[in-house]
Amino acid sequence: MSFLGYVRSDGSVGTRNYVLVIPQGIIAKSVCDFVAGTRTILTVDHGSGRTANDREQIARLLIGLGRNPNVASVIVHAASPGVGYPELRAERLADEIAAGGKRVELLDPAKDGGTYGAIVRGIQLARQMVWDASRLRRETVGDAHLSVGVKCGYSDTTSGIAGNPAVGYLYDKIVAAGGTALFGETTEIIGAEPALARRAASPEVAEGLLRAVMVQEERANATGLDIRTVNPVPSNIKGGISSLEEKSLGAIHKAGTAPIQGVLKYAERPTRKGLFFVDNWMGHLSIFAGYAAAGANVVLFQLGGGGVAGRTLLEGSPSVVAPFLWATANPKTYAAAADSIDFYSGTVIEGSETPEEAGERLYRTVTDVASGTLSRSETLYYVEPIDMYLQEPRF
Amino acid sequence: MPAKRALIMHPHDNVATAVEEIRAGDDVAVPVAGTALTLRATEAIPFGFKLALQDIPQGEIIRKYGETIGRASVAIAKGALVHIHNLEGTRARGDLARRNEP
Repeated sequence: MSFLGYVRSDGSVGTRNYVLVIPQGIIAKSVCDFVAGTRTILTVDHGSGRTANDREQIARLLIGLGRNPNVASVIVHAASPGVGYPELRAERLADEIAAGGKRVELLDPAKDGGTYGAIVRGIQLARQMVWDASRLRRETVGDAHLSVGVKCGYSDTTSGIAGNPAVGYLYDKIVAAGGTALFGETTEIIGAEPALARRAASPEVAEGLLRAVMVQEERANATGLDIRTVNPVPSNIKGGISSLEEKSLGAIHKAGTAPIQGVLKYAERPTRKGLFFVDNWMGHLSIFAGYAAAGANVVLFQLGGGGVAGRTLLEGSPSVVAPFLWATANPKTYAAAADSIDFYSGTVIEGSETPEEAGERLYRTVTDVASGTLSRSETLYYVEPIDMYLQEPRF
Repeated sequence: MPAKRALIMHPHDNVATAVEEIRAGDDVAVPVAGTALTLRATEAIPFGFKLALQDIPQGEIIRKYGETIGRASVAIAKGALVHIHNLEGTRARGDLARRNEP
């Protein structure tokens, strides 16, 4: 019940050991292209023209990624279009990341000789920081230091029968060991929220869950549309899912059976261990970066198959610093893209494994990756841009 | 020919999920508490799709995982395919909210 991880000065444990350079832009990209062992983000949104709430959400994402235990040290540059807003000032981001105890360096073109000068200084700093980080050795630590985030997607009926139940087993095991487990996708718990609210650790948590669903359902109703024209998405329907409620009831199996300790905002860090619901959106370009910002040191995409016919290569979703795993229980999906998929639990449908046996195998897969084995998508350079979950209009 | 397999997720369910390709006229076995419920598929049920375990009148609740996944938009016969042509979800239905229907 342990894995090999990088113990940080605040007691958290990383499964990777990166130097992070944020926010996005030519300085961050150039430093990362030049220096091995670094990570940055790619996003079209800098906060410019965004409301204070959304700017704070962006700040939470950036600070959270910096504080993620998979990050050894951080470089923050002051050349982003949103940097003039108080929420997104480079010094503010740097201070809040450094409060977690790790080394943070600032690059400012105004003081470092313009953009060219900031890039050169960034490269010099990053080389030293990566080298320093590499001197840290992995140590054996307990599973209480695992923090996992999950989404299910391209869901079909294999997701609810055999895919999500294996994840649910993993989640129960991690929570029982004192670790942290995050699930979300508010639209995809509509119809399943009574079952989830019964598992809330307190009446306040139950109320928070029901409120999150109510707000989302009211938003859907206000469009005047039949939700079935939006969600379940066409690939779900092609995979045999007939209603949003059926999709939701299958989806919640990935959350296991543990009590729900709280409801978190996108990119919000939980203040204690256990199972948490995150009030987020299902988009794969959005959700995993949010989990990483909440401290997840491994993330998992449970894949159905309704819409992935012909896809023989599956690139990872952007999770920035958290290793990303693909899991599926659909035999056709697995056969098509076996070299992209980290875990297969169609065995439960085929009858060769129980959900518990499959879940135990998933646990070993996750702890292997946490200990340093590459996830399949980590063998690719290709990274998709992040679609930050921002809800307010732009002006 | 051996019966094709379909699974129920909860004893209260009135639909089962095919875990093999089922053709019209195939016998289907659904494991229930150590025994097997058998019925005949009246039409093709593709892998992962649902079939009705009993006659379901129009408007009746359809249950999977022991919970409501929608209602029958038309009467559904035992052994028939249950999908978007005869099952409608009732949540987040902005179209019904606008018409002020339940």
